Amino acid sequence: MSDVTTATEGVEPDFDVIVIGAGVAGCVAAYLLAQAGRSVVLIERGDTPGAKNLSGGVLYSRVLEEVFPDFLTEAPIERTITRNYIQFLNGSSSIGIDYQDDRLANPVNAVTVLRATLDAWLAEKCEEAGVFLMAGVRVDAVLKENGRVVGVRAGEDELRAHVVVAADGVNSFIARDAGLRTKEPTNHLALGVKAIVSLPEETIRERFHLSGDEGAAYAVVGDCTMGVGGGGFMYTNKASLSIGVVLRLDDMTAKGYASSDVFDHFIAHPFVAPFLKDGEISEYASHLVAEGGLSMVGQIETDGMVVVGDAAGLTLNTGLTVRGMDLAAASGIAAATGIDQALTAGDTSKVGLAGYRTALFASFAGKDMETYAKAPAFLERERMYTRYGQLLGDILYGVFNHDLTPRRRLMSVARGELKRSPVRMRDLMSDGIAGVRAL
Amino acid sequence: MPSTYILVAGDARIGNLVAAAAGTRITAVVVGTRAVADAVAASAVATVVWLGEPGENALEAFAGPVADVVAAAAPQLVLASTRPSDRVLAGAVAARLGAPVSTMVSEVVVSGDGAQVTRGVYGGIAQEVVAVTGTAVVILDGGASGTGGDAPVEEVAAVPAGVVVVENRPAARTQVDLGRAQRIVSVGRGLKSQDDVAMVEALAAALDAETACSRPLAEGVSWFTKDRYVGITGQHVSPDLYLALGISGQLQHAVGARGAGTIVAVNTDKDCPYFKEADYCIVGDLYDVVPALTRALT
Amino acid sequence: MKIVVAYKWAFNPQDATVDSGGTVTWGRAKAGVSEYDPVAVELGRRLADATGAELIGVSVGGADTASPMATKSALSRGFDRVVVVADDALAGASTTQTALVLAQVIAHIGDVDLVLTGDSSVDVGAQMVPAVLAGALGWPSVMNVTTVSVGAGDLRVERAHEGGSQVLAVTGPVVLAAASDAVVPRVPGMKDILAAGKRPVEKVDLAALATGPSASSVAGVSTSRPELKSRGGRVLAGADVDAVVAELVAALRATNVI
Repeated sequence: MSDVTTATEGVEPDFDVIVIGAGVAGCVAAYLLAQAGRSVVLIERGDTPGAKNLSGGVLYSRVLEEVFPDFLTEAPIERTITRNYIQFLNGSSSIGIDYQDDRLANPVNAVTVLRATLDAWLAEKCEEAGVFLMAGVRVDAVLKENGRVVGVRAGEDELRAHVVVAADGVNSFIARDAGLRTKEPTNHLALGVKAIVSLPEETIRERFHLSGDEGAAYAVVGDCTMGVGGGGFMYTNKASLSIGVVLRLDDMTAKGYASSDVFDHFIAHPFVAPFLKDGEISEYASHLVAEGGLSMVGQIETDGMVVVGDAAGLTLNTGLTVRGMDLAAASGIAAATGIDQALTAGDTSKVGLAGYRTALFASFAGKDMETYAKAPAFLERERMYTRYGQLLGDILYGVFNHDLTPRRRLMSVARGELKRSPVRMRDLMSDGIAGVRAL
Repeated sequence: MPSTYILVAGDARIGNLVAAAAGTRITAVVVGTRAVADAVAASAVATVVWLGEPGENALEAFAGPVADVVAAAAPQLVLASTRPSDRVLAGAVAARLGAPVSTMVSEVVVSGDGAQVTRGVYGGIAQEVVAVTGTAVVILDGGASGTGGDAPVEEVAAVPAGVVVVENRPAARTQVDLGRAQRIVSVGRGLKSQDDVAMVEALAAALDAETACSRPLAEGVSWFTKDRYVGITGQHVSPDLYLALGISGQLQHAVGARGAGTIVAVNTDKDCPYFKEADYCIVGDLYDVVPALTRALT
Repeated sequence: MKIVVAYKWAFNPQDATVDSGGTVTWGRAKAGVSEYDPVAVELGRRLADATGAELIGVSVGGADTASPMATKSALSRGFDRVVVVADDALAGASTTQTALVLAQVIAHIGDVDLVLTGDSSVDVGAQMVPAVLAGALGWPSVMNVTTVSVGAGDLRVERAHEGGSQVLAVTGPVVLAAASDAVVPRVPGMKDILAAGKRPVEKVDLAALATGPSASSVAGVSTSRPELKSRGGRVLAGADVDAVVAELVAALRATNVI
C-alpha cells in the first residue's frame, strides 16, 4: 500500500504550500502560512489579483482584523456601514425598515469594499510576508500520485507542494478535478448580477443621508426580482453605488427570464431609480453564488489538499445579508492552522489535515453555517418573493389612503387584506415558524 | 509672425499640416528626393529646406541633421504627419529641444511665445488644452498634397547616420486610402472564417464601399491587410457611413471611426459598447444581416 | 552585446472612467506590461539567444513600476534582468519626459547596442517614445520593424512601410520599434515566473539621473470629457431579419446616407 502521508518520496516539493486563487480566502491562508515560516506560492489566473473578481460587497470586517490588526486603517475600505435598510418592493409601492445604530460603527462591524483594490492589497500583504505571487497563470489540473494530490499543472509546467489549497471560487474547478465535488444542482446556485454606478461622493451622502465615510446597505425583496426567488441589494461605496440582484438559477430558468431583464426591471423601479439618477454604470457583471448553506459544504479536505472560501461552498444567504468574504477569511485562517499543524506533524494526508475542519467548525463561520443550515430551503418558499410585500403594501394603503371612507382599525384592515390576498393564514403561520427556525 | 516647421520624410502629402499652420510662416524641412522637395514647394509653404538626395540611405538616417536645422530656428510649432518615418524626424526634434509632443490633436493656436494645443489623452477618453511655451511638436494626419505654392528650395548638406537600404520589397498590391472613403464596411471578431470575407466584400460592393476591419483581423490572422485596420494606432476614418459588423466597439477601435457621419453597428450582444455610440444598432448575427442587407441593396 | 527593451507598466484606458470635467480615474483598471511590449521582448529574446547577448528590461514610471508584481511580470517574459526608475513624479509622465529619462537609464547601463520598444503603449498610444528616445541618445530609429538579425558587422532590419517592406543595414547603436505583429510573444509559464523571481531588479533613483532643464514647458489650461457626437442609438431588432434590414435601408435612404 502506498503512503499518502507525505507528498512524494525522493522528490523535493517546490513549495510547502500551493494556494490557487488570490481572493480573500486564498490570500488569508497564504499570508498566515508565510508568517508561520512556510514557503508558499499563490497562483492567480487574473493578470493581477482582483482582476477576475466581481466588483465587491459588504464585508463583515472583524475577522480580517484578527489577521491584519490595522485592517480598518490600512486596507482600501470604501465606507463603514451604519445604516441597514430592509425594503419590500411592490409594483407601485414600497415599504422600508430603516435600522440605524451607532453600535454598528463602534467598533466597526461591516464595511464596503471593491475587490479590485481589496484583493490587490491582500496580495501585496502576502508578498510582504514572503509569499511568491504568480499572477496570470491558469492552473489546468491537480497532480495526483498514489491517490493523493502532490501539486498542480499549468500548461507544460508542474509545481509540487506538500499541500494544495483550492481557493478558486464558487465554480472550483480544482475541487472537482481532485474529485471532491461533483457538478452542483442548479437549485443550490444563484446568479448574482451587479453593476457599479458612479456618482459624486457628495451626491451619495445626500441621497443616503450619510456623513463622512458612513455607508448604507439595502436588502430588497419583492417586485425587484419579478417574482424570481432571490432579492435585490444596493450599498454605497465611496463614489459609487453597487446595485444588483441575486436570483435563484433554477427558478429564473423555469420562469423564462434573462437576468439582465430582471436587473433592468429592478433599477427602473420608482423606489430605486431616484438613487441612481444621473449616475453612470461603470461596470456590469454577473457571477454565480453558492447559496446552499451548510448542505453545500461537503468534503473540504483530501490527501494533500484542502478547499476554502466559496470553493468550499462557504456562502450564506440569510435572506437579509449575503455573506461570503467573512466566511472566506475564517476558512483561510482555519486552513492555515490545519496545514501548519499537518506540516509540523509530517502528515499531510486527509487525516493529517483534519485540523482544518476542526478549526473551521470551532470558528464563528462554521457555527453560523450550522445556525443557518435551513435558510436556503426557507428562502425557496415562493411567497417570500411575491405576495408578502403586496399584502403589506395593501394593508398600509388601507391605513394611509384617506379616500373619505371611515377608517378601520389596523387589525381589521390587515384581516381584510389577508382575505383578499392569495396568501393564506396557514401559509403565514408556516412561513413564520419556518423563518424563526431557519434564521 | 510665428514660425512653423513642417517635417517631411519622403511623402509630400502634408495638406492638413499646412492648413493647421495657417497664419504662421511655414518652413518645410524635407528628407527625400528632389522630386519630393519640389512637390512640397508647390504647397503653400514659405520655404523648403532640402537635405539633399538620400541615395541608399534610409530617410530615418537624416533625423539628426533635421533636428540640427530645426533647433537652430527654435520655432513655436513643429508639425509632422503620423507616418512612421515622419514620426522619427519629429522625435529627434522633440528630444533636441526638450519639447513636448502632442498626438490626437484637434486644434492648434499659435502665438508669439508658444502654442495652445487641444489634444486627446489616454486614447481620447478625455481631452485637454495645454499651453506650450518654447516649441510644441504636434503630430497630425498628413492629409492630401498641398497646392497653391511655389516656394524656393534651399539645399543644406547633411551627414546621415549609418542606416542604409539594402533591399526594397514592394508590396504586391496597391494601398487603399481609407481616409478618403465615403462608405466603409468594417468587420471584427464576429467574422468566423477567412472564407467569409467574400460575404463582407459582396456587401461592400453593393454599397460601393471600402472594406475595413478591427485590429484582430489584420494582425495575427491577417485576413485583411494592415492598411485596412481602423483604430487608435491604425487608420482614422471619417466616411459618411461606417458599418461595423461584429465589432464590439472597444475604445481602441471605436476612436478610429468617431468621425463617421452615420454609424451602423451589427452585433449579437445587445450590451456591446458599440451600441452606445452608433446611430443604428442591429441586434443580430452578421451572418444573417449581411446577406439580407446585400440582397436589399441589389 | 547588450540589448535593452524599454517597456511600460500601464493601465488600459478602456477600464478608466472620466468625469464630466475630464478627470480620468483608473478605478478598476489593472496595470500590466503594456499590450505590445511583449512582442518587443520576444524579438529581443530571440536575438539575444541567437547572439549570446544580455537582454535587459528598462522601465520608467510611477512607484508601482517597481512593485514585485510589475518586475516579476516583466522578467517572466524573458529578460535577464530589469532596471527601473519608479517614482510617482513619473506617473503619467509625458512622452518627451519618459523618453529623456529612458535615455538616461540607457546611458547608466552603458555599452547598449540596441534598444527595442513595442509599437505603441496601451494607455497613451502616441507611438513617439522610441523616436524621442533615439533623438535623446543621438541614435537613429526605425519603426514597424518585423525582423532583426545580426549580419556581417551590422544589424539587418526589415521594416514594413506603406509600399511594402525594406531591408536595412544598421551600423552603430539604434532604437527599433517592433511592428505589433512582428512575432507572437510567449505566454509565461509557472517556471518562467519562478525563474523571474530569482533574477535581479535594479532600482535607479530618479534624482541620481542627470535630466537637464528644457527650453520648452507645458501648462495645463483645461480638461474636459469630449462630447461624443450625439447619435440616435436607434435599436433595430426583430425575428424577421429582412424586415430589420428594410427598416435600416429605408432610414439610411431617408437621411441621404445612401
